[in-house]
This record gives sequence, structure tokens and C-alpha cells, in this order.
Amino acid sequence: MNRREFIGCAAGAVGGALLLGESERLFAAPSDQINLGIIGVGSRGQQLMRTFLRVPGVRFAGLCDVYEPRFAAGRKITGENTPIYHDHREILNARDIDALIVSTPLSFHADHITAVLESGHHVYGEKSMALTVDGCNRIRETVKRSGKHYQVGLQYHYAPWYREVLKHIQAGKLGKITQVYAYWHRNNSWRRPVPAGADEKLARLINWRLYKEYSGGLVAELGSHHINFANEVFGGMPESVIGSGGVDYWKDGRETDDNVQVTYRYPSGQTLFFSAITTNRLDGDQIRVYGTDGSAVLTEADATIYYEPKRPESAVQQETIVQHGIVTGATYRSELPYRGVGEKVPVPADKMGSPDYLACASFINSLRANKRPEADEDKAWNEGIAVCFGNQAIAQGQRLTLDEHPAKAAAA
Amino acid sequence: MRIFSQSRNAMGTVFAIHLYAESEAQALSFFEVAFEEVERLEETLSKFRPSSEICRINRLAASQLVTTDPEVFSLIEQSLFYSEQTAGAFDITVGPLMRTWGFFRAEGHFPDAQELKAARERTGFEKVLLNRGARTISFAIPGMELDLGAIGKGYAVDCAVEILREASLSAALVVAGSSTVYALGTPPEEDGWKIHVPDPLDRTRKISTVRLRDQAISTSGNYEQFFELDGRRYCHVMDPRTGMPVEGVLQTTLIGSDGAMTDAVSNALFVLGTDGEKLLSNFEQVGVLSVLTDSREQRILKWNWPDAAVERNEIINFEPSYGRAQAS
Repeated sequence: MNRREFIGCAAGAVGGALLLGESERLFAAPSDQINLGIIGVGSRGQQLMRTFLRVPGVRFAGLCDVYEPRFAAGRKITGENTPIYHDHREILNARDIDALIVSTPLSFHADHITAVLESGHHVYGEKSMALTVDGCNRIRETVKRSGKHYQVGLQYHYAPWYREVLKHIQAGKLGKITQVYAYWHRNNSWRRPVPAGADEKLARLINWRLYKEYSGGLVAELGSHHINFANEVFGGMPESVIGSGGVDYWKDGRETDDNVQVTYRYPSGQTLFFSAITTNRLDGDQIRVYGTDGSAVLTEADATIYYEPKRPESAVQQETIVQHGIVTGATYRSELPYRGVGEKVPVPADKMGSPDYLACASFINSLRANKRPEADEDKAWNEGIAVCFGNQAIAQGQRLTLDEHPAKAAAA
Repeated sequence: MRIFSQSRNAMGTVFAIHLYAESEAQALSFFEVAFEEVERLEETLSKFRPSSEICRINRLAASQLVTTDPEVFSLIEQSLFYSEQTAGAFDITVGPLMRTWGFFRAEGHFPDAQELKAARERTGFEKVLLNRGARTISFAIPGMELDLGAIGKGYAVDCAVEILREASLSAALVVAGSSTVYALGTPPEEDGWKIHVPDPLDRTRKISTVRLRDQAISTSGNYEQFFELDGRRYCHVMDPRTGMPVEGVLQTTLIGSDGAMTDAVSNALFVLGTDGEKLLSNFEQVGVLSVLTDSREQRILKWNWPDAAVERNEIINFEPSYGRAQAS
């Protein structure tokens, strides 16, 4: 029995639900310590490290990156002299690592995540799943074959107010959900500074989100969260997509669009519209769920419900109109946007917490209890494939049908 | 090299950054990462965001040991250190007292003796229990809460400066609502960034001008937030030792090596008033300029202050040229 199997068994006896909430019910005995390694110590990787270190009994046993300054940044976060690796293949052979985080540029996800799984480690892989359909297929297939845990970094899957809204929807409180309109609107360039003396290759790697060689752009980096949520609302993945976008404002040599609009259609006639722009932040990051009986607006911090006016129980009695007649008058404006307040979706205190923390804690609990993560390879695949097709639809200027794609048919 | 400015709402105030860059595109990239860092710290430290790490600690620490990451643990540990160094004048557990006085509702309320006693029982830095090895935090009694409002902005300034340094930026002013400023490097051809200390009774006039390079400066004053109750004016700074609002101090300004320290210690000196001088030797390389008042006159406390001529009533010509503030 190796160390990882031992941890699985020992913690399995303790048990515990996956969505534990933030209460630290599973206290870490020394033997219960989880040692993590991380491949890709950039801005997102560093935030994941801080968050994982808030979960009891977690320690970092290895940092892997190709850019030297990242090691100092990572060690500052761990507060210790954590071992460093310059090549992802080296960290896979490190002793005493239970699971790895992959937070590298999107184009590397497929190679890095499958390599981690093949080496016998569990993996927390940043979203989106992979840059290409083939990459998504490879990761899902490797997870299934290896039997190792894979959790995708769709942290809003764990947001308590998201879960509460889904409960409302599933209980039918919003009626039939017909549309989800999702926005991630910013007003900034998305370009990070490049240190003096950096060569062209390093400059592109630091700003990897702006180059198609590495990145799926705004659809992948921002839309993936919204697509995953719509997939949950509509109970599956979309069947077709149209899209548009362009480099229309930040003409600074970037390749990925600075604004995108994609419209996904789901099998039972439902629609997800996603828009990301980088020139105005009025609407921020929000999801608007439209149902026949009500709407839900979800943000990074909370969710609010707005109920539609009650529909009459039955048609107006015909004789009333016939006998009394109706009144004529000037046209009134009846379709102004609703400007009233909504009902804040309550989150029980013991379920409150940051999406990042709850996602990381849930992954650690899934390791200790040897249970499958919630945001697993199937949810990741449904999200990742939709992202790939959304970007293809924008690039080709055509409506694409996901069902007809051979890769999907083969993997489904 | 040209100077660029941008400001954004954060941490309940306006953060502004003024920096030298080769081009607007380069300046925007600096703003991007620096403000992203400030936003990260607000999301971590805010007591007003239920998803923050501080709120998680506040929810749980009375009933269990809460593990946190080394950064948050160190900042809390550092805060408790400043509490010890200032004889309790700086205290991140002061929230229950502030609430009793109605400070969070922007309206005054004079608490009765019983309310004050109850709030004081739930206040006190010595009731925050830390275990460095396990990085755990717990509260000795229920009802306590951590509020990093008097150190968090200074810390965020330091972190934003660090991010800019790593990006090879050599000259910037990072400003948190004017109360904490860090001067990174110097403007070209200058020996420092010029900072004016205003007269607390007429802020269009200055009482001192200093030039800073790789140093932080923080000012605490009672002119920003106060309330009046029964004809008497109370400032928004609480003396954690007595449970009463501070009186007799108009403004304290502190120069030091980093923004977290100057933010925290300037707040403590504001609380300590004339007693503050005794504690200054606890801190290395700080300079202090305080304006104190009693019923008859104002008086200036100057300690290791670089500006030899502390002048009064000279008009400040400097007008900060902030960029457009973002909607929020």
C-alpha cells in the first residue's frame, strides 16, 4: 500500500459529504496531511495555493514552472523552502505528493493533466478543460481509464448561492427556464506588464491569454463558468452555437478577440447567450436566468430572485367584458424594465463561503474520503467542448451543430 | 517617460496610482496587475464581503480552530504584534465596540454602561489565539470579530507596490484614499515624491512637505468621519482600551518603511495622543508629525520628522489629477 492508497482508506473510514460547507469538520491528523504539487505558479495558480492552504492539513510539496521568478512567489505563499521543478515530468516523480494542481496556460492542459493522471496522481485542473476537442476527449478518457480523481476549476459550481438558485429552479419556482443571458463585462486591456529584458517568447507566455497558440480567449477564460451553469440549468450540453467577436478596440497585436458574443441552443429549445466585452463594465459579471414565473440574477457575491406578475388562474369571465364593456384611453408604456427590488436568495450560515475555498476544500475532502469530485470530468467535458465549438463558430462565422461533430459522437 | 494616473473604488475608498511609463499601453498593464492585487486583498480581508477569508474566520473562530494561509495568518500575527507594541492602542478586535457606538450605521448612539461592558468583553487582541505551527486562529470567547480596516489598506498598498516592482516599474505613487501613500522610487530628475501634510483645520493649507523615496506615509485624522451627539463631536476612531472615541487629537502622520506599519501605527498614535511619544522608540526609522489639541490651543508633536521647517498655513497648490473613476 502506497501513501496515497493509505490516505484514501484511512479517510474513507471517516467519511463525510463532499459539499461539506466551510466548517472544518474533518480535522487533519498528521497522517491525514495532503501534500500537493502545482504545475503553473502564475496569478491563478498562486491564488489556488493560498486557498488550498486554508484547508486544514494541506501542504505544498512541489512547485513547477518554466519562469524562474514564479518560484520565489510560490515560496512566499507557502512560507517555506518548497522544492522546485523546472519540468512537469520531474514533479510527477517527486516523492510524497498526493495530488497535483494544473494551472498552466490552456493549451498545455491536455498534456499536463493526462501526464499527471498517468503518473497515478489525482488532479485539480484549471478551467477550461482543454483548448481543443481532442484535448478534452483525451483528458476525459484518461480520467475514466486511470480511475484517478479530476476536479475542474469551475469554482462557481460550489458557490452556495448558485446551489440555492438551482434548488429554486429544480423546485419549479421560476417556472420553465427558457433563456440564460450571461455577461462578463470589463473595462480593461487584459494585458499584463512584461518585465524589462524579457524576450518575445516570455512576453507571449506572460500574456498567454491574448494569443491563440495558448488561449481560447474570453469564451474559455470567462464564459466557461457561465456555460457550466447553463449546462446545469438545462440539464446537459448545448446542441448548436453561433458566435461573433473581434479585436475591435485593443488593437495591440493580440490575437484573441476583445469582445465575443455566443448563442448556444439546447436540445429542448432553450438558449444561453454569453457576452464578454473589455470596454465597459456596467454589467460586470452576472448571469440572468429567465423563467416563465421568475428570474434569477447571479453575481460573484450573491443571487437575487424576481418573480413575474402572477398569471391569472383562469381566463377572465367572458360575460364580465361583454356585459360591462371595457374602457378606452391613451396607450400606456407597459414594458419598461423592472426596476424594483428582488428577493435576495438566502444562504444558510453554515453553507456560506467563497467559491474558491469551497471548491478547494471539496477537492481535498474528495481525496480524503476517496469520493468523486462534484465538478468532474463529465461536467468539465460538457463545458470544455461547448467552449471549443463557441470559438470555432466565431472563427468560421457559421452555425455549428455539436451533435454532428464526429469527436462528440465518438466520445458521448 | 510620462506620468499616468488611474483610480478605482476599493476597500471602501478610492485607490489611486500615479506612475511613469513609456506608453499608455504599458501604463494600462501596470494598472491592471496593481488594481487586480488590491481587489484580491479586498476579497481576502473585507469584513463586508461574506465570502472573504476574514468573514470565514469570524464565522468559525469562536467554535473551532480555523486554519488560514500564511499570508492572512502573518497579517493577523503582525496586527497583534502592533497591539503589543502600542499597549493596545491598535486593536483589530475593536468591531463590537464600533458597533455599540453605531459607527457602522453612520449614526451615533451613546451606549449605556451595560452595553459598553458587554462590548468590551468581546474586544481585546489578547483574546485572539494563534498557533503558528498549525496556522490556526481561534477566539477565546464568542461574539468577537476581526476587522483589518486599520491595517488592510496599508497592506494592500504594499502588495500593489511589490507587484509593480516585480514588473520592473521604477517610479510610482500608490495611494489608498490619501490615508496611506507609498512612494516607489522617484520621479525622473527628482530626489523624491513630494507629499504635503495638510493642516487638519484647513486642509487647503499645509503644515509640512516631505520628499519620500521607497517609503510609506500614513495620516489619521478626525475630519473624514465623525458624528455629533448631544452637541458634542465624536470622531470615528475608537480607543480600544477605554471603549470611548478618541478626543484631543486632530491628526497624526507617520513615515516608515511600509504601508501596513504606517497605517496601523498612525492609527495607534492617534489613539495615544501625547502618550504616543513614549512608544515611538519601539519602531525603527519612523518619523511622526501629530497635531494635538486641548480646550485652549493646538500643539504639534514632531519626532524624527524630516522637514526641518514645519510651516503653518502655506497654501497647497498640488491637486491630484486622478483618472476617471470606474463605475461600481
